[in-house]
Amino acid sequence: MTQVSIPRFQSAVCVTVAAMLCAAPPLFAQSASSATPAATPLFREVTDEAGRTVRIPQPVHRIVSLAPSLTETVYALGLQDRLVGDTDYCDYPPDAKTKTKVGGAINPSLEQIAALHPDLVLMAKSLNRLETVYSLDNLGISAYAVDPHTVDGIISSSKKLADVLGAPEAGDLIAADLQRRLADLHHRIGALPPKRVLFAVWTEPLISIGRDTFIADALRRAGGVSIVDSSQDWPQVNLEEVARLQPDYLVFAASHAESVAPQLDALARLPGWRIIDAVRDRRYAVISEAVNRPAPRIVEAIEDLAKQLHPEAFAEKPEAGKERPGKEIPPPPHQSFLHLPLDIHSSSPDAVSRGGCACAR
Amino acid sequence: MRPLTFRRLFIQCFILAVILFVVVVVAMKFGAVPVSLYALGRDVLRFLLGQTSQISTDYGLILWNIRLPRILLAIIVGASLSVAGTSFQALLRNPLADPYVLGVSSGASVGAILALIATPYLALPPAVSALLTPMGAFLGAAATITAVYFLGRREGQIDSTTLLLGGVITASFLNAIIMFLLSTVTSGNTRGMAFWLMGDLSTSYQKSVFWFLGIGFFVATGAIYTTATDLNLLLAGEKEAMHLGVDVPRVRLVVYIAASFLTGLAVSVSGSIAYVGLIVPHIMRLIFGSDHRTLLPTAALGGAIALVFADTLARTVVAPTELAVGAVTAVVGAPLFIYLLRRGAS
Amino acid sequence: MSSSALARNAGDPARSSSDARLSVEQVSYAYSANPSQAPLFTLEATSFQAKPGEIVAILGPNASGKSTLLKLISGALAPLSGRILLDGFVTHSLTPRTRAQRIAVVQQESRLLFPARAWEFVLQGRHAHSRTLRFESEDDVIIAKNALAQVGAADLSDRWMDQISGGEKQRVILARALAQQPLLLLLDEPTLHLDIAAQVDLLHSLRRLAAENRYTVVVVTHELNLAAEYADQVVLMQRGRCLRVGPPAAIYQRELLEQVFQTPLTVALGSSGRPHVTVVSER
Repeated sequence: MTQVSIPRFQSAVCVTVAAMLCAAPPLFAQSASSATPAATPLFREVTDEAGRTVRIPQPVHRIVSLAPSLTETVYALGLQDRLVGDTDYCDYPPDAKTKTKVGGAINPSLEQIAALHPDLVLMAKSLNRLETVYSLDNLGISAYAVDPHTVDGIISSSKKLADVLGAPEAGDLIAADLQRRLADLHHRIGALPPKRVLFAVWTEPLISIGRDTFIADALRRAGGVSIVDSSQDWPQVNLEEVARLQPDYLVFAASHAESVAPQLDALARLPGWRIIDAVRDRRYAVISEAVNRPAPRIVEAIEDLAKQLHPEAFAEKPEAGKERPGKEIPPPPHQSFLHLPLDIHSSSPDAVSRGGCACAR
Repeated sequence: MRPLTFRRLFIQCFILAVILFVVVVVAMKFGAVPVSLYALGRDVLRFLLGQTSQISTDYGLILWNIRLPRILLAIIVGASLSVAGTSFQALLRNPLADPYVLGVSSGASVGAILALIATPYLALPPAVSALLTPMGAFLGAAATITAVYFLGRREGQIDSTTLLLGGVITASFLNAIIMFLLSTVTSGNTRGMAFWLMGDLSTSYQKSVFWFLGIGFFVATGAIYTTATDLNLLLAGEKEAMHLGVDVPRVRLVVYIAASFLTGLAVSVSGSIAYVGLIVPHIMRLIFGSDHRTLLPTAALGGAIALVFADTLARTVVAPTELAVGAVTAVVGAPLFIYLLRRGAS
Repeated sequence: MSSSALARNAGDPARSSSDARLSVEQVSYAYSANPSQAPLFTLEATSFQAKPGEIVAILGPNASGKSTLLKLISGALAPLSGRILLDGFVTHSLTPRTRAQRIAVVQQESRLLFPARAWEFVLQGRHAHSRTLRFESEDDVIIAKNALAQVGAADLSDRWMDQISGGEKQRVILARALAQQPLLLLLDEPTLHLDIAAQVDLLHSLRRLAAENRYTVVVVTHELNLAAEYADQVVLMQRGRCLRVGPPAAIYQRELLEQVFQTPLTVALGSSGRPHVTVVSER
């Protein structure tokens, strides 16, 4: 039985192609090492908040931020001129929107980051992916991660970041200012019994925040305490449990305070929510979305919340006089009393007390 | 009567290789950062001539360190998934089989999640800890392959129906574990897991990973290719294949291990990218026929083309934001699959 | 040729052992669902021999062990005791590939998962003779073409398998078996789904092919008259036991057949000189 023997030429072609394919990885890997630009002679080794040792070129001229909170912090430190890129979600302050975008926090474009030739990439351990860290390492781009879990942690984190970026004085200034304001707040409300609150991140399903998050700590600083005691960061909460615990207030973070009232109305019609007194009586507070970001601006949200939870401690006029540098809306605290549902329920005399007044109960 | 000859096979593969080359060039040109064809050509020339130090540093890092490795990753993953899908469709005698049907990707995902959870507790040098997730995923895949093998045996040999049942049940079980882990574990590292589960080629890996992938791919695909004619006969029926001279238990074992290994490789570095392993074999069958001597290499090339193309879309459509490539393959793949189904039914 | 002493068959003292291509020697088998349970089915020791060019019919009612015996001969099952020799080789100890070079099994149906043309189908028969990673040679193509011609299906060569009739498909399946260039051709109830014309056509082809190509053909059937007409030897089975082996004239005795098939019959001499069985209906 004769068999076809594969012609020599064709087998030679096959072998060559296979060899080329096998040779590809080492070839380009070799080019990788020689394509990196000449390294800056000065380096500084720091340990970031994820426990990694990071080699940071000195001085740091070009920064890319992969988290909105870090973008805000860079602006707060006055170092925005060095910020060359940030994520699609970096929207505060408004100038941040004008920076070159590198994509999302979870899915940034490595190419875009590399094209900006950053000296340092700032990352938040709770927001960005571990794979992004490893990829940046592999490309030889330094990445520094922060991971604050408390309000004090946010302040010290910002201070450390300022130091890493070569502007320790700015860090000291910010830290001092924030500490002062927090101390002032504590002076006013520290002795008062805390209000029991439910911080609702999402309502369907009901998701709140865990006890080890900086948001929970922020609530505490504002004179409230989260009724949710969970070790998870974003626990899903059972409505029955909330009804059993009956919080004094609901707390929402929203960019537009007016949008909360109609949502709450819709919720109040649902049987599961109606049994919660705070929902039925419309006892809620709205603060800015700054509370979701571990950045200096969170202190403003804390102050705002404190005024809504303990208005009696802020007897003097709280509105236009208070200085809020660079802060957008939300409106001054007592206006939340006026965000009443525009239906017949609001025409009753005790509507005012439903807006969040501490004397409703 | 026109039986397959080596020459015809070579020409078919050559055409696909040319298409792949064109797609690669296009992929090199497009991205979040625009690169002109002239600059690209110039740098390629310098690269080939060995003048690597003269490659423009503007583009050098992006092209050679980010884009090209990513394209290479897409080629290997696409080829692996397609070959694995073709093999499983033959092994299980089921045109709906894809590389994940036997639970390999679910096992890899569990392994990856466990690795992510464990990372903070292990003090490892950075080069090694970067490999922890792919290694964990690969080990998870290997464990699943072993478990499903023992589940899928009857009278000491792999039986197609039992294997399919065992694999599907294992996959469901592991998926439930994934859901459980993701909803209860507090480690922040698992946050990006949803992205990984959808399939994602954006991670930049060390060259040792590429060596492993390349060698593993060629070894496993080579092993499957030696059974190509056996697979043709297997599709006619197991009893018949045996009577025609196929050592059915041996072929089943080789194909099962090699195809699962390919799937494990692909999933370890890129998560579970949908539809590539299911649809590319069908398309190649429509064009080139069901002879596995042609089908296996053309599926490999076709899978590479498809995934490079999909990945280029994923990173350019809403640049600089990156879509998960698995989302792109699903959006393109599902309608394509429905079209193929209807066409096959008519 | 095997030179070992072979057991003589009960019904055929004239057979010479040195002529036999296929030799089934005291082959038995038992099948139980559970190793600890009693066997569900037993095939008792059976023996017969067959020469090149001969057609052997394994005849019997349902569940008589016919198919099991055929599977043992094909090598799909290993006998519990005894052995099967083909040209001196013990069939079960061969590798599937070498076995397929000598033994071809013709199935009744063929479920193809993906569409194939008839010539592709027939070419599959050459698999046992080709080496790994080789493509079909010109010889293979010629053999496949001849196989199709021998069954009268040369015009079906380019047709798709799922578009041809049952009878045509049967011929293509037979062609594939012929393409294996076997010594032994095995068929299990090949006439089951065929109409009378196709049945006659098939058995006629088998007789012609056996004579031309010197095949040994073993056919399992329960069709009394077809077996009588075409078989050179008949192996009569009942409930796992081989009752008698011999030419049709020796097997087709009225009392024996009535006992085996449990129904009143009459046996007469047909026009071709072979026995012919008629069913007696109750009035």
